[in-house]
This record gives sequence, structure tokens and C-alpha cells, in this order.
Amino acid sequence: MDTVLADRLQFAFTIMFHYLFPIGTMGLAPFVAWYTWKASDGDAEAARAARFWTKIFTINFAAGVVTGIPMEFQFGTNWANFAERSGSIVGQPLAMEGMFAFFLESIFLGVVLYGARAPSRFTAWSAVAVCAGAWLSGFFIVDTDAWMQYPVGYHIAANGRLELDDVWAVLLSPFAGWQYAHVLTGALIAGGFIVGGIGAYYLLSERGAALARRFVRDGAIVAFVFSSLAIFPTGDRNSADVTQYQPIKLAAMEGLFETARGAPLAIIGMPDTQRDVLIDPIYVPNVLSFLAYGNFTANVKGLKAYAEELRPPVELTYYAYHVMVGLGTIFVAAGALAVLLLWRKRLFTSRPMLWILMLLMPFPYIANEAGWIVTEVGRQPWIVYGVMRTAEAGSPNVAAGETIFTLAGFAGMYFVLGVLFLYLVLREIAEGARA
Amino acid sequence: MSTAGFCVIAFMLTAYVLLDGFDLGVAFVAPLVARDERERGAVMASIGPFWNGNEVWLVAGGAALFALFPRAYASSFSGFYLPFIVLLWLLMFRGMALELRHHFPSRIWQDFWDAAFTLASALLIFIFGIALGNVLHGFPLDANGYFQGTFAYLLNPYALLVGAFALAVLGQHGATFAAMRIEGAPAERARILSRRLWWIEAALFVVVTVTTFGVRGIPSVPVVVVLGFLSTAALAALPAAVRSRSAAAAFAASSAFVAALLASAAAALYPYLLPSIAGTTGGITIFDAAPSPAALSCALAVTILGSIGVGIYGSLVWRRMAGKVRVE
Repeated sequence: MDTVLADRLQFAFTIMFHYLFPIGTMGLAPFVAWYTWKASDGDAEAARAARFWTKIFTINFAAGVVTGIPMEFQFGTNWANFAERSGSIVGQPLAMEGMFAFFLESIFLGVVLYGARAPSRFTAWSAVAVCAGAWLSGFFIVDTDAWMQYPVGYHIAANGRLELDDVWAVLLSPFAGWQYAHVLTGALIAGGFIVGGIGAYYLLSERGAALARRFVRDGAIVAFVFSSLAIFPTGDRNSADVTQYQPIKLAAMEGLFETARGAPLAIIGMPDTQRDVLIDPIYVPNVLSFLAYGNFTANVKGLKAYAEELRPPVELTYYAYHVMVGLGTIFVAAGALAVLLLWRKRLFTSRPMLWILMLLMPFPYIANEAGWIVTEVGRQPWIVYGVMRTAEAGSPNVAAGETIFTLAGFAGMYFVLGVLFLYLVLREIAEGARA
Repeated sequence: MSTAGFCVIAFMLTAYVLLDGFDLGVAFVAPLVARDERERGAVMASIGPFWNGNEVWLVAGGAALFALFPRAYASSFSGFYLPFIVLLWLLMFRGMALELRHHFPSRIWQDFWDAAFTLASALLIFIFGIALGNVLHGFPLDANGYFQGTFAYLLNPYALLVGAFALAVLGQHGATFAAMRIEGAPAERARILSRRLWWIEAALFVVVTVTTFGVRGIPSVPVVVVLGFLSTAALAALPAAVRSRSAAAAFAASSAFVAALLASAAAALYPYLLPSIAGTTGGITIFDAAPSPAALSCALAVTILGSIGVGIYGSLVWRRMAGKVRVE
């Protein structure tokens, strides 16, 4: 097997599995903080909610830590050329994540767990610190990625290394802001649907009614607000950045092969990269031009306008993007319906809506992962956009065979971890918010 | 400038060994300190709130190495690919063991994870020791600074000796921590263990020091000599501190010993990050892996500000959670 392909498979597998847990921690942290805060005001029901969600959060966090350990080091093990050339830049936000975010999260989580019986104001502030740590951690990681998408604040030294000039340019990269906002809204959608979905499950199984109603209410509101924000402004602005800085990725996302004035938006269709056409498409005329440039007759360049070797893998980018957007639309619709029913005071008795909320739980995970596939697969063939190719980024003395062996090891370990994670979370849910 | 970067890396790795060292050590000596499940529960609870924060030093230290000396980061992690991945697996497995054990009130479940935890921790200490031994010993490196030897080469007698020494040192460190943090019978056993371990530790200290002189030559740099004497003094003070029944003093002595020992090793290595075997070329020094001034000042600021922040809220939290763990 091609060495870099093995490296890419390993990275894709370990990062996608790892990311399942940060979705949970970034999405649930504000709920933990909110309920802990209410509990420190003497709200006994919120105290039960805080204990329950702290348990779920902690299992998530532990799995995130365990699967996060190799991420920090994989740049060195499997991507030595990339690490050597760009480490002085990429290493910075990663070091900041460790020093400013990860410590905050892990140290204060200890306090939240310790004070879970009877939360004081100090416990509540600690829960806020955990949330800040989780969100800040996400920021530094997105920042690292944003630099790979749109490198800024560096120069290329004589020996070919990329040297940092201005760390603020990297931190405040024009690509990072909306991307981070979009990532965070994605996690909060997941948080909202998890809290709402578990509340719906309790209501449907006629358990813990008062607390379950609270979960459904809080979850539905958060899910609705953030799925709306995921489309506008965060998703829209993130796409605008892609349009500006990575037009080839935009063409791949949309499955646009032909350059066109007044380009249509493909709602569905299957890209055929042999013939460079979209099979069985359903088009909405002129909308892509409008979304990309705010003008119904703007010129949008198609994939055929670019050299073959500059194109990302079109199929994966296209499908992942359409899955994300399709699911996002469903989230807004379901969220809006739930909030409407809440307002009409019929949400808690509407069994179909509760069923929908319960069954939607896994889908924000799919949408979040799909979003990252768009971002990272769509970045190919570059590891640092326009500067360094993925093909030249691997480790010179690590063979594909070694990577396949370690990939198998990671797969086995993560399978066990995944089974245990599901078992523990399901057990907590079954035990419910009684304790 | 590069020297400051070297100090940052040395500081972070020393902080890691000092802090994660005690929870690794506690895990390693747990079977000797705790006799039944209740006591073992207390031993695990004594490190429960800390291990994760302690491990962040390794992650942050890795990132700092990445930022400051990308060449050393790239060539060492990919050069020792398999041993390094095994190390990561052990770290992950250990985290799983500690987090999973208390979720299920079954004797078999807990026995399994406790054994896994002790075994993984002991192996980690041993491997860290072997790694340090190899770094002190030097590697066969090619012109680009990539490791040219075999897996078996890394298990040379000197490295194994340092691995054994690491087990004694961190076992001692863990025992003094357990004596400080736990109440009742396990604490007493930890105290006795720490007195007995001292003899092994001191004997290995002498052997390792003498063989290190053989491998690297007798140190002449003043800093190395001073730090070496400091570590000897801390080791000598340890039994008195243990006997004085002040658990905090014993832990402080053990910490001083670990810190001075690692600092002297770092000072002896300077300016090498990844040395080749004595007399050959190809080692990576801080100068040929030198960071750009902007990268260095940024990483320095992050490390210093971050450490101050962690120091402030870390001690706040430690104070809140002070007090001993009871056997329940």
C-alpha cells in the first residue's frame, strides 16, 4: 500500500473516532454548567440534573482524553516531514491548547466531580471553567486547522521550513473565526439533541416526568437556536471563506463541473468523475451563484476549470457536504416544530414529536463528522493549502506496513473502548436521573 | 535563545515526571500498599483527581517540543515509531483502566482493571527509564538525525539499568505520595515500603551514576555537578524525612530528588536534544533544530503564562481538595 495512504487512513480513523467525544464535551459542558449553577442556587431538581449530566460528561471526557493522547503525537510519528517543516507554527496553538485549555478543563472537572453532592458557588464556577476549557480547546484545534486551510503569518526559510512571523495573525486568521463558530454550533446542536432526546426517552418511557420535561424543553430550545445559527450566519460565512480562499473545494462540495454564470445549486445528484458530470441531478437554478457571491448571475468556476491534480477527491467532499447540509435542514425543521409545540404547551404530550427527538440523537454526530470530512478531504491534495502537498508530508522512515500494524492496534483498542463507552453511557441513562 | 527553548522543554518534561511520576508510582506499588478491594479503592481515589491534569504536562511538553524544535520532534517520534506507539497505547490503556474500574461493582471487573493499571503503569515507568537511558547513551543516527538502529538495540544493558532505576525512583515517589494522601493501614504500609525501597533506590543510584560516568565521562560542567550533588543530598535526606513521620517532608524530599536528577540529566545532555553515540556525528542539537525567534518567544510566553496560571488555580484546587482519602 502507498505509505501516505496508510498514514491518511490512520489519521482519518483516529481523528474521527476521537472527535465523537469532543462533540459530546463541547455540546454538554454548557448544560453541566447551567444545571450546576442552578443547583448552587438551591434548585434540588437542577442538582439531580447536574449530577446526571456530569456523569455523562465525565465518561465522554475520559474517552476524549484517552483517544486524544495519540493525536498530539501523530504529527511526529506519521507526518514527520510536515512536522519538521511547519512545527514552529502548527505547534503553537497545540501548545496553547495544552497550557491554556486542557489544564483548565481537567483540573476543574475534578472539582465539579468532588462537589457533585451539594454544589456550591465554587463548584458552579468550576463547571463554567470546565466549559470554558472545552470551548477554548476547540478554538485552538480549529485554529491549527484553519492555518492548514489558509496559511498566514509565516515565511519560508532558506532551508524550506515554514517559520512563524506573527502568532496573532495565526490566532486571528481570517479563516478561523467563522470555522470555529460553525464547529461550536455543530457541537451545541449535538448537545441540544442529546439532552432533548434523552428527556424524550424518559417521557416516552414514563419515567422521572418533571426532570424529563426540563431536559426536553432545554434541549429543544438549544437545538433549535443552534441549528438555525449553524446555517446562518456560521455556515454561510464559513462557505464564503471557502469560496474566497479555496474555490476548488467549493466546486467539489457543490458537484459543479462546468464553469457557469448563474450556476445552479444541486440538491441531489451523484458525481461521476470519469465523465465529469453530475448524474441525475435536481437543480435549483442560479442559487449557487447567489449563495457564493450574493449575486444570481455571478460566475462560479467549475472543477473542469482546474488542473486534474489540484482537485480534491470529489465524491467524498460532495457527499459529505450534502449529508451535512441535508441533516442541518432536518435539524432546523425538527427544532422549529419542537419549539412551536413547546410554545403551544403541547410538546410534552406529543408522542410523535418526542419520538422524533429521541431518534434524532445520533444524527448530529454524523453531521459534525461529515462537516470535518468536507473540510479536510476538500483540502486535498494539500496538507498546507497551496504550500505543501500531503504526498510529501509523511515520515521518511516509517513504512506502510508499520502504519497498517498500528492502525490495526488502534482499531482494536477503539472497538473495545467504543463498546465500553456505549455500555457505560447506556447504563447511566437506564439508571436515569434518580440518584 | 535556543537555550531558553531547551530549558522550557526540560522544565515541562521534569514537571511531567514529577507529577505523573507520583501517580504512575502509586499505581506501580498499589499491590504492595493495598491488601483488599476497599484499600485499593482508596489508593485509586488518592490519584483519581490528579492523573489527568498530570498527564497534560506530557501532552503540552510534546506540543512545546513540536513548536520549538520541530526537527527533533519529527525525527524522534517517527524514528522510534513502534516503541513510541506502544507507549501511547500503554498511556491510553492506563487511562481506560483508571476510569473504568469504579463504574461496575464487580470483583472480577475491578481486579482486572487494577492489575491492568499496575502493569501498564509499571511498563510505562520502565519504558520512560529506557528512553532516558538511551538518550543519555546516544543513538546511531543518520545524517538527517533519524534513528538507524533496531528495536533490540534500544534494549541495551545500560538503558535497562536506567529503566530499573526509574522503577525504584518512581515507586518511591508514589509510596511517599500514598503515605501523604491516604489514611490508615495503606499509608503505614506505604511508609514502610518507602523505607525499604530507599535501599534499592540508593544502591541503583550509585550503580547508575558510576556507569553513567563510564558512558558519558565524568561531568565537568558546574551546573551538572551542582545538580548531581543536590540530588544526592535529597536522596540522603529522604530516610530522615520518612522517619520524622512528616509525610509532606518525605514527599518533598522525593520530589526534590526526582527534579534534581532530571535537571542534572538535562544539563548533561545540553545542547543535544537527540545525541548520537559518543564519538559519532549526526546528533540533533538545539542549534541545528533551532526555532525562529517569533516561535521561540511565543512558546516561551505560552509556557510561562500557562504554568503560572496552572500554578495559581492548581494550588487553589489542591487546597480545596486537600485532606486525606479514607478507606471506605
